[in-house]
Amino acid sequence: MHYDLLLLTFLPLAAAFAIAFTPKGAEALQRYLALGATLVVAVLGVRLFIGFGAEGTPVERYLFDAPWFALPSSYGAPTQVRFKLGLDGVSLLMVTLTAVLMPIVILSTWGHVHKRVKEFMVWMLVMQTGMLGTFLALDLVLFYFFWEISLIPLYFLIGIWGGERRLYATIKFFLYTLAGSLVMMIAIISILWTRGTSDVFELINVLCRAPLEEQLWLFAAFALAFGIKVPLLPFHTWLPDAHTEAPTSGSVVLAGVLLKMGTYGLVRFCIHMLPGAAIAAAPVMMALGAIGILYGALLAWAQDDLKRLIACSSVSHLGYVVLGLFALTPAGINGGMLQMVNHGISTGLLFLLVGMIYERRHSRALDAFGGVAVAMPIFALFWVITTLSSVGLPGLNGFVGEYLILYGSFQASPLWSIVGLSGVIFGAIYMLMATRRMLFGALDKPENRELGDLGAREVGLLLPLVVLVVWLGVSPNTFLSKTQPDLEQINVRLAEARRALLASADSTTHPSAEPLQEQSR
Amino acid sequence: MKLSVLHSLFDAAALSALAPLMALAIGALLVLLAGLTPLSKAARGLLVAASLVFAGVLNARILLAEQVPGVVLDGVFVADRATAMWGLIFIAGVAVAWLFSRNYYDEDSSHQNEHDVLLLATAVGMSMMAGARDLIVFFIGLELLSIPLYALAAFRRNRAKSVEAGLKYFLLGAFAAGFFLYGAALVYAASGTLSLDVFADPAQRAKVLESPMALVGVAMLAASVFFKVSVFPFHVWVPDVYEGSPTPVTGLMATGTKAAAFAFLLNALLALPTSSATSVALIALITMAVGNLGALLQQDVKRMLAYSGIAHAGVVLLAIAGAVGGDPQPHGALQAALFYMAAYVATAGGAFGVLALLESDGERMTTLDGLRGLGQRRPYLAAALTVFMLSLGGIPATGGFLGKYLVFSVAVRAEMIPAAIVGVLLSVIALGYYLRVIIAMWMQAPNEDSPLASTKPIAFSARLASTACVALVLLMGLLPRWFLEHM
Repeated sequence: MHYDLLLLTFLPLAAAFAIAFTPKGAEALQRYLALGATLVVAVLGVRLFIGFGAEGTPVERYLFDAPWFALPSSYGAPTQVRFKLGLDGVSLLMVTLTAVLMPIVILSTWGHVHKRVKEFMVWMLVMQTGMLGTFLALDLVLFYFFWEISLIPLYFLIGIWGGERRLYATIKFFLYTLAGSLVMMIAIISILWTRGTSDVFELINVLCRAPLEEQLWLFAAFALAFGIKVPLLPFHTWLPDAHTEAPTSGSVVLAGVLLKMGTYGLVRFCIHMLPGAAIAAAPVMMALGAIGILYGALLAWAQDDLKRLIACSSVSHLGYVVLGLFALTPAGINGGMLQMVNHGISTGLLFLLVGMIYERRHSRALDAFGGVAVAMPIFALFWVITTLSSVGLPGLNGFVGEYLILYGSFQASPLWSIVGLSGVIFGAIYMLMATRRMLFGALDKPENRELGDLGAREVGLLLPLVVLVVWLGVSPNTFLSKTQPDLEQINVRLAEARRALLASADSTTHPSAEPLQEQSR
Repeated sequence: MKLSVLHSLFDAAALSALAPLMALAIGALLVLLAGLTPLSKAARGLLVAASLVFAGVLNARILLAEQVPGVVLDGVFVADRATAMWGLIFIAGVAVAWLFSRNYYDEDSSHQNEHDVLLLATAVGMSMMAGARDLIVFFIGLELLSIPLYALAAFRRNRAKSVEAGLKYFLLGAFAAGFFLYGAALVYAASGTLSLDVFADPAQRAKVLESPMALVGVAMLAASVFFKVSVFPFHVWVPDVYEGSPTPVTGLMATGTKAAAFAFLLNALLALPTSSATSVALIALITMAVGNLGALLQQDVKRMLAYSGIAHAGVVLLAIAGAVGGDPQPHGALQAALFYMAAYVATAGGAFGVLALLESDGERMTTLDGLRGLGQRRPYLAAALTVFMLSLGGIPATGGFLGKYLVFSVAVRAEMIPAAIVGVLLSVIALGYYLRVIIAMWMQAPNEDSPLASTKPIAFSARLASTACVALVLLMGLLPRWFLEHM
């Protein structure tokens, strides 16, 4: 058995423990320990990514499986809950993104975390374990464990190092997401009891043949939990508050990775595990996604606070992801997966940049700026590249994802695809307007003349992400080709489910013609 | 018949069934005697610890043995794996309360001996309640638990609040005891027996419950036991009594008493017809709502935990409702209740214990304001209290999560999904106040004028107890296999 995944997941936690026992004042030690641990994880993650799907890589390398405990099941024999971690095409990009993003985030804290450094590093590392575990878990109960545990670190990160209204924001964030999760717990209980297994792949084989009615209520429970996390309209109100109050690094992790837990869940569970219900619910989900694109864009347009603006743009961008995923076409799902990564990188970059200028100017109000490009040319360069990536300029990463999504969703529903397309226009408007108000125009405020440009550390932490922005834009196939085989599986399932739905519609007159029967366990 | 009881007292099964109770009772008597001798406090403490450990080992022996003693003493008492596990839970609860009480009573420390005797007596009472198969045996256990608790509640006798708590608890408890006896008399008049076996057999049960007299009797019995577990509408005494009592004793009341009464309720309520499941579930949900909403309004953490204790009683009652409503998994509710209460004993016991440590003399350190900035002043205590709060809130990696999971499993299996969903949403409210405690400790700066926590070092016993509680909570949350297999 290979321990790569175990190491990947728990190395941050181990480092967190180590940091917790360092002496109180040793801030440099704590910072470099955290950076070192996340760098090692990043190297491990990239190595796994490179090896994934290559010839001659043993499959077991991407699996860790150990018995954990047993819960009652309706079959008499108890359900064995397993500690099962696995990497496949669905989780690959998310895991790599998490691994690569974290050292950058840790490095960014040099600039804005000055109090209680030790605790901050501990929570950041615990969070990384929670996020990696969520993406890697291939057991429903284990997934739920990591899913909920990852709430706690962000709760502390916002609550201790956040802005003025941090307590309100952190409680709101926690309770919102918890409410959804607990309903999902009821669904998980029901699945474990009726199906007698908690293995995700077994359940994917079993549940796609469940009656549509059952699939639909399970879908509703899962989609509620994931929808709140994404966040889908109308559950989005916690996000702007959480983002605005969170420290920069918290925002980057929240936007870059945590929200992706929701979209990842939608792919893994709502679509792959419950394809019948996904087809039935697709119109609703696409509508929510498309309206989210538009509504998020309008919200962002109306903001004066830069951070809030980006938070609202997140709602819009994740609307694309949902729209693409629930088009349930190969292009749409591919685009959705790619857009998850894109959004993580672009929005992560935006939050990092906003954090950098806030550290200098101590304001995030758009009115406070103007002509910053003169004072900070390097900053302006990065900001413009990021903005263009965010609005989907061809040649940068945003374009590929948005194009695939709009193409895929047009096949499924021209109406919502067009609504989504209008979001692209609004997205360009508010991002470019913000850029104009901040970077260009007259340098008329005396405070802005004094602004120092980015230092070597800041450029160093932004550069890898910018490289990714270009790479993803020019050669998305480096990434898509790895995920392709597993996403193909989802399409096969969806095709099966469509046939089954058609057949059951035909067979209402003679129900014995049901082509798919409950698979024997 | 009387003779046969005498004979059966001395057969091997009865001896092994009663051995844990005897160990505790003999321990209590020895501690009482030791009070007359010039033995040091430490030596007397060793005696208490020895009897707790010994009783624990005897319970573990029953738990792990191939052959359990089963029903003994002419069917009035039972010792099986479940009662052994309950016994371990009670002993853990008493041990936690005892360890935290060691340095709690500064001014009354001369009475520590009596205190310990009373504590050990409650353990005997609770074990008797869990094993009772007969209403009178149960009643004796109940009184053996309650009377020491009345005294313990009023143990800080130079404090008005403590005396008030003791008096309130005593008066209401006396009523509850009266209800119980009257109810038992009515049931006896209707059925001709005090044995719980009548209710185990559906045919007999239906016959007995036909008579209105028996129905009234059962209702009175239920009211009395509901009073002990603090289920709506018999919960109103809880906040005042919990707040006024010495904090380690409050911990025992919240955990041990509740566990013992639930051990009995699990037997007794299963006698209800399936049709009453909805009403039991409704009571459970109302109890959760009342407890959680009440807790949300509190500024005093001790009082908040009192209300949260009401909510937790509601959660366990939901498992019983599921069992009444036809949970297809045999002993599913028992497993859920055992796991939940075991986790709760470690969690709430530990939380009350940490509060007890924080109560510096005369000053109220247990308000949310008083806890501000505790994470900076005393990181280990604050970390322990954080773990307890997360476990009470049912967050994964703690025992509280799996307990909640098991309880709601019972409801889902009984196809009471709406009740389960309302239940989990009510538990979201609960997080609202548990998180406030964490916020106060870690995210708020200390008040300038708030009393600082006492700076005296933490006693070894308290450190042991809080570490053990944290370890148990995390063990039950992360590696629950052993617990699940033995519950």
